[in-house]
Amino acid sequence: MLQSLLPLLIDGLANAALIFFVAVGLTLVFSVLRILNVAHGSFYSIGAYGAATLGLWLVSAGANPWLSYPALLLSAVFVAALFGPAIERTLIRWTYGKGEAVQILVTFGLFLILEDLQRMVFGVQSLYQDTPMTLLGITQIGNVVYLNYQILLIVLAVLVLVGLRLLIKHTRMGRLLAAVVADREVSEAMGIDTDRMYMIAFSIGVFLAALGGALATPTTGVAPGLGAETMVLAFAVAAIGGLGQIEGAAIASVIVATAKVLAVYFVPALDSVAPYLVMLLVLMVRPQGLFGVAETRRV
Amino acid sequence: MKKILHHWTTAVLPAAAIALAATVATAQEKPEALSIGVFTFTSGPAAAYGMPGKQAAELMIERINADGGVAGVPIEATYVDEAQGAEGVISEYRSMAEDQDNQVMIAALSSGNCLALAPLAEQLKMPTIAWNCDTHQLLRDSELKYTYRPNGNTLPEFTAFVAYLLERQPDVKRVAIINPDYSFGHDAADIVKTALATFAPDVEIVAELFPKLGASTYQTEISRLSSARPDAIFSNLWGADLENFVRQAGPRGIFQQSQVILALGETVLQRVDLPDGVIVGMLGDGYWLSPDAQSKPDTVAFAEAYHERYGEYPVFPSMKMANALVVMKAAVEKAVEDKNGEWPSRDEIVAALEGMTVETMTGETSLREDNDGIVDQVIGVTTASDSHEFKVIGDMVRYDGEAFMAPVGEEPVEWIKSLEPSFLDTLPAAGSYK
Repeated sequence: MLQSLLPLLIDGLANAALIFFVAVGLTLVFSVLRILNVAHGSFYSIGAYGAATLGLWLVSAGANPWLSYPALLLSAVFVAALFGPAIERTLIRWTYGKGEAVQILVTFGLFLILEDLQRMVFGVQSLYQDTPMTLLGITQIGNVVYLNYQILLIVLAVLVLVGLRLLIKHTRMGRLLAAVVADREVSEAMGIDTDRMYMIAFSIGVFLAALGGALATPTTGVAPGLGAETMVLAFAVAAIGGLGQIEGAAIASVIVATAKVLAVYFVPALDSVAPYLVMLLVLMVRPQGLFGVAETRRV
Repeated sequence: MKKILHHWTTAVLPAAAIALAATVATAQEKPEALSIGVFTFTSGPAAAYGMPGKQAAELMIERINADGGVAGVPIEATYVDEAQGAEGVISEYRSMAEDQDNQVMIAALSSGNCLALAPLAEQLKMPTIAWNCDTHQLLRDSELKYTYRPNGNTLPEFTAFVAYLLERQPDVKRVAIINPDYSFGHDAADIVKTALATFAPDVEIVAELFPKLGASTYQTEISRLSSARPDAIFSNLWGADLENFVRQAGPRGIFQQSQVILALGETVLQRVDLPDGVIVGMLGDGYWLSPDAQSKPDTVAFAEAYHERYGEYPVFPSMKMANALVVMKAAVEKAVEDKNGEWPSRDEIVAALEGMTVETMTGETSLREDNDGIVDQVIGVTTASDSHEFKVIGDMVRYDGEAFMAPVGEEPVEWIKSLEPSFLDTLPAAGSYK
């Protein structure tokens, strides 16, 4: 029994790990900025392109292949530093206090711009950079050969989850962010630089998305459209977990990934729609998501 | 009122008639260029298949023009990116077809786009040469006059892969399928399952997966394939999907565990180091290293020029595009000859295509009465090469294109069922094509 369940479990968790990086960034940005950033998936693909390009350059330069690991992290940091503050201070800041429709339209416009920008910079052909994956080798579990890199992804996702929780609960910056989430006006009155907090939260969100993209690179091809594909799954996760819920995003990532894996194993015809069927089911029962809190709408 | 009517009947209408007649006459005069539309994917994951087609078109047109053009007229191509979706493709096709200067469309790559364009070609009376359009649905149950496909199609192609597998591994019992989730993938799965049920009824299909077109990761599918322990895995993934799958499946031991059949595998040989013994092939006979291709100095020169310009040798989509242009050139020149040197209309080009047999760069194509091409099918296995750094195709077989073609008017998949297992004994053996 365990023998047959193990592949399902590992596949589910490895898939969930990659979705989690994007979804938790999306949900963090929403909880602080109250913006559903449609362009969030673009940071995932830019992170992936950055990591693939840097990794390929290191390989061609004959550098130590283990440097491809810091290259993944460096790529995510670079994307966050380049795009986070710049976009938050211009486009995103302009949408604060405006209607949800305006926010979605602006971020959707940004998504289209970033997608075209990627085509211009990286071209339309797929990039492949699998050095980090090959370095770690494989493990046979039952009948199935797994990449050790897939197991590393699961560990990294857990570390990010714990790290985010520690950041928010046990650091000064985390408490400031929590204060801004609770009440922006009171936070400002208490002397918190809320603009700075918004920029930091947005940049952390960009970093998490880019990190997800960078970590996906060794096991996937990087091509135009990658961001949109991931974004749709991240939305499903955010809807199931409840927007603004970090632990909710983690559990919802596992639910979405498991639904997809179960479909591939038992009902392949449904593998593309399985995550969204689960999302529909959850929303029918709890419109605010599994861990979301229902808010009273002020008319 | 009478005066106005008199003016219309004596002046305006005759003038319009003369102007129209002049336009028709002008269309049949030798133009400055033979304007054509070329439809392929130049962006997105499908560009991995579509760009070699575009590159081949550019190079072929350059070579044809340098050699005097088509009946003395140079070709001028407009390229359309199919990645914009069927709506955009249809719109661009329509606007190009409405321009009388455009005389032939080389369209398209995607089976879905081909099915959408075929009725439009009839409506606009536009000669359309399907350079890829693999689905057997395209010319089934229809009497298309303006669409020709000088290629193979899904039926002979995938039946041939089953024949090759059963010859190399007659004891195969468990087969898994992983194809893209649209008509091309599902049609191929139906054909493979029907052919296996016909020729080897005791074979069990242990997994049937249809990941969405353009998927970036196949890790779950690979686990599923691995846990199903199939003797053979068939796939008609293509473009970036194929390269992604192969790169992800390789490290996880799929090629060692099962006999993998990559129907469009020739396209990745220069980019990915596959292990020896993987059954690979192409759609049709478009292998630049096949004995037939290598016996033609033009093809060898084309392949070298292609390599020099693009850094890779042509893959079979390149050869399919090149062959489509060879057919177009032959048809237009035949139409010119039939008109004693005058330039032909669109209808006259279409008439010239009827029943044509053309020597292509990799073999020969014959157009049947249903406008479908009969093209041989080349299959083999990956093997190391003395002359190239990448794997090439060895143990090749060249099946006669007609062997696996359903007769005109017959339902293709049903026709497979009418074959006897002994039919396989009549086919040439693996390794016989040298």
